[in-house]
Amino acid sequence: MVAVRGSITGRGPDWGRIGLHVGCLAVLLVMLYPLAWLAATSFKPADEVISSLRLLPSRIELGNYATALEGVGGVSVLRLIGNSLIISVGAVLGNVLSCSLAAYAFARLRFTLRGPLFALMLATIMLPQHAVLIPQYIVFNQLGMVNTFWPLVLPKFLATDAFFVFLTVQFMRGIPKELDEAATLDGCGPFRTFFRIILPLSRPALITTAIFTFIWTWNDFFLQLIYLFEPEKFTITLALRSFVDTSSQSAYGPMFAMSVIALLPIVLFFMAFQRFLVQGMASSGVKG
Amino acid sequence: MPDKSPKQRTLPRTGIKASALTFAVLTLCGLLAGCGAGTNGSAGGEVELQFSWWGNADRAAATNEAVDLFEQRHPNIEVQTSFSSYNSYIQKLATQAAGGNAPDVMQLDYRQISQYASSGLLLPLGDRPEVGTGKVGSGMLRTGQVRGTQYAIPMGRTSQVLVYDSAEWQRVGVSEPRLDWTWRDWSAAMRELNENTGQAGSTDPGWSEDWFEVWLRGRGKSLYTDSGELGFDKSDLAKFWSFTNGLSQRGAVSPARQTTQIDGSAANMPFGRGNAASGITWDSAVGGFQALIGDSLRLAPLPSGPDGTPGQYFKPSMLVGVSANSAHPEEASQLVDFLINDPEAGDVLGVSRGMPVNQDIREDITPSLSGLDERIADFQQRLEGKLLDPPSAPPSGDLALQTTFQRDYDHVGFELRTPRRMAEQFLTSVRSELQQ
Amino acid sequence: MNVEAPDQRLSEKPRAEKPAEPAEAEGTRRKRKREGAAWVFLSPWLLGAAVLTLTPMLVSLYLSFTEYDLFTAPEWVGLDNYVHMFTEDPRYWRSAVNTLVYVLVAVPLQLAAALAAALALNSIGRGKGFYRSAFYAPSLLGASMSIALVWRALFNDGGTVDDLLSSFGVNMGGWVNQPGWALLVVALLTIWQFGAPMVIFLAGLQQIPGELYEAAEVDGAGRLRRFRSVTLPMLSPVLFFNLVLQTIQAFQVFTPAFTVSGGRGGPADSTLFYTLYLYDRGFTASHMGYASAMAWVLLVVIGIVTALLFRSSRSWVFYNDKG
Repeated sequence: MVAVRGSITGRGPDWGRIGLHVGCLAVLLVMLYPLAWLAATSFKPADEVISSLRLLPSRIELGNYATALEGVGGVSVLRLIGNSLIISVGAVLGNVLSCSLAAYAFARLRFTLRGPLFALMLATIMLPQHAVLIPQYIVFNQLGMVNTFWPLVLPKFLATDAFFVFLTVQFMRGIPKELDEAATLDGCGPFRTFFRIILPLSRPALITTAIFTFIWTWNDFFLQLIYLFEPEKFTITLALRSFVDTSSQSAYGPMFAMSVIALLPIVLFFMAFQRFLVQGMASSGVKG
Repeated sequence: MPDKSPKQRTLPRTGIKASALTFAVLTLCGLLAGCGAGTNGSAGGEVELQFSWWGNADRAAATNEAVDLFEQRHPNIEVQTSFSSYNSYIQKLATQAAGGNAPDVMQLDYRQISQYASSGLLLPLGDRPEVGTGKVGSGMLRTGQVRGTQYAIPMGRTSQVLVYDSAEWQRVGVSEPRLDWTWRDWSAAMRELNENTGQAGSTDPGWSEDWFEVWLRGRGKSLYTDSGELGFDKSDLAKFWSFTNGLSQRGAVSPARQTTQIDGSAANMPFGRGNAASGITWDSAVGGFQALIGDSLRLAPLPSGPDGTPGQYFKPSMLVGVSANSAHPEEASQLVDFLINDPEAGDVLGVSRGMPVNQDIREDITPSLSGLDERIADFQQRLEGKLLDPPSAPPSGDLALQTTFQRDYDHVGFELRTPRRMAEQFLTSVRSELQQ
Repeated sequence: MNVEAPDQRLSEKPRAEKPAEPAEAEGTRRKRKREGAAWVFLSPWLLGAAVLTLTPMLVSLYLSFTEYDLFTAPEWVGLDNYVHMFTEDPRYWRSAVNTLVYVLVAVPLQLAAALAAALALNSIGRGKGFYRSAFYAPSLLGASMSIALVWRALFNDGGTVDDLLSSFGVNMGGWVNQPGWALLVVALLTIWQFGAPMVIFLAGLQQIPGELYEAAEVDGAGRLRRFRSVTLPMLSPVLFFNLVLQTIQAFQVFTPAFTVSGGRGGPADSTLFYTLYLYDRGFTASHMGYASAMAWVLLVVIGIVTALLFRSSRSWVFYNDKG
């Protein structure tokens, strides 16, 4: 918004903004080089994948994609992507729902133990997850949920990602209090205030939660490794790792090809949802 | 991106709602399907076994084919298979076992079985009538024993190997390794290679406990005694590290900057990257070098001790065991027997787990091998009868020491500490690991 | 017990900030209703915390006083793990120092990069969506196997970066493979993936009401002045969030080092970070009791740092809900 105003007052070409474009493009050129290298490598013939440092392959080798598209261990790529999608989308729904509920309580409602519980919630992300992996595995094993998608999705419906609860709390606290006070005067209880006022205004936080949850769940290797047994339930992230085995022969070319394939859904998800980030308070309704 | 038109305000909101709804439905269907499949499996009065291993896609394809064959033979048994790469597998199996959920049949590493057996996780296989071991050499069979009890059966055999590019060696006029060369011959060859090529002659062998073991055995010692005590002392290790690090400082073997990146894969080995004229590895991992070096790749034994005592040995590339908690020990043992002894399974599995341990199957499939597999078979053939028996399975704790060994040698390689000092530190770690 | 330190501060904080809380003036009936509503909103979290997070945490606290090899029953050893950690394990201290250096390098630089990018994007106008996606692109990958290979290819002996420098006559002989540089290479991977804090900053910038800028402009405030007196205070809750969370995450750095160094933390232990060593002790060496003890020491340290950040926030974080 700062700049929008700047351009209105400025006369002639806006040199400041042009400089900004040039600067961003220059930084991006360096930043995106590794990604370009990764994408280009997926087209390199086997002997160049590891040894060649040149960006472009000497000839385009599509064999890597052919191998990758065959899938892994008899499971098709579509199945792998489908499994990843189910888990990631489930996680998104769970996190958006449960984290906003908990965040509202922490941000706006007064209750006994609020401070200690908030600290407790933060403490849950301070303990390295490797230390609780075994106890959690035992819980899910007792529940009969090992080798299903539940251990990867259910925790999200129970707001176990304190990161997103805290994130949403910070955003809700940025919403002017007059708004819910007005609602309260109009006779809205906490539930209506939440759904009518707070939730719509927290959209940047919810969208952010959705985007991050999707990408992070998609890329999360360790939990998927531990909880999924049958290859039919494998995700694309798990499959990706199976191309590289230091104890036998690795297939680096197909691994790069598979990385590119695995990247496509999250790129699409990000592109689709990042547009919604634009709509924040500034444009959507505080004016009234 | 337009972000201030008034229309835009309503559009995305419905967009979110619609897509969220679709996602919700899809996800629920998926979750139910995933859950349903989990419960279906145990129904129907059939026996269901879980079998997991580590390896790459080739091994997975061969194994699945063999498992299909097994299921045809035993229509009442259904085998659910799973695999991951080595490092992932170790963690996954540990987590499953800790949760009381280990697979019925599991592939095991030589370094794992002591711990798994002594924790009561493995079923003793010696008294299972289903498992035949008559065709497995006694020395090889012993590698699956812990304190005299057979807990696992080797699935394949491998041996230490020096891989080199024969064309390169001929070009620079260095004579190729002989079957009975010693570490002294080896270091002379490394220096000569370095002088003639300007590159390192080989990977620095100081990084791995595996190659130290070969060096030790050549001197009549061992990493561990049969009773699981330490089989060497501080001065042995200090001597080995001074020897390898001395060569590294002179350029005869790879510098620390390259040695530190070795993780067992060909791509991270100086030889694989074209920075050295040879490399030291297991013959089961030679395939990776073949892809990088080409057809002039040759296999030679590791050097012997000063009096010609061979240090290398036939090691189980991996073993297979049955979970002590398995609900179907009989069927699980049948699967183990099938993987080891069935001729048809042998044909299907080929050398995907190293050379088969069953003599009949080994002889049976050898003529059909070609290319690199043939060269590996030939390499093992040349060593047959010349090597000493393999050591007993390493004691629990060795899995951790393997990494510690490499970490400690890094400090020697980068000249942060002397070989003697680090040898001392390594032995402190060994003592605290072996206590437990 | 260590949770108590942040506890008190947190429970005081919101109240301290609201001298005239209107809710206080409301009737007790409404208050009680609100209290009940709060527990309803909290119920999923409470269930998850009780079953899936806090119980496993307490189990790991218990395990930290035992020798537990994963497969046989844990054996009570009292404070042995803690004593061993502090007095007999040089690698433990190495990993603690590495982690501290990493936190001090990676957190400020990543946040600075993210904030700079977010501010640039917020005023760039045309092509905003493109730039946002492009800056986020590196973060899409996480620390996958392929990015580890790319990173090694870039920063290896004779890699792309070396190649480039050697044309200026500088010969480094690699970065990722030298004890003096490897930690920076890993930190660079994290800094490079600044997408997450950037998006959070952007969302925060979106939340600033345009009227504030208009008012500031009417008052004759220039660009810099508007940034200092409008953007910065209004962004402070989000800045605070990013600072706290990135710090917590940096203390637990695992994946980038795990993939780049192949899990060993080399060369010469220079990227052996705290959680990497913890994982190594717990899963490779099967000393889960020791690993749990390490985890709880880290929790205490992070708890103290977080509490200090919360305390400092009173003087620089501005909340809009002051009533």
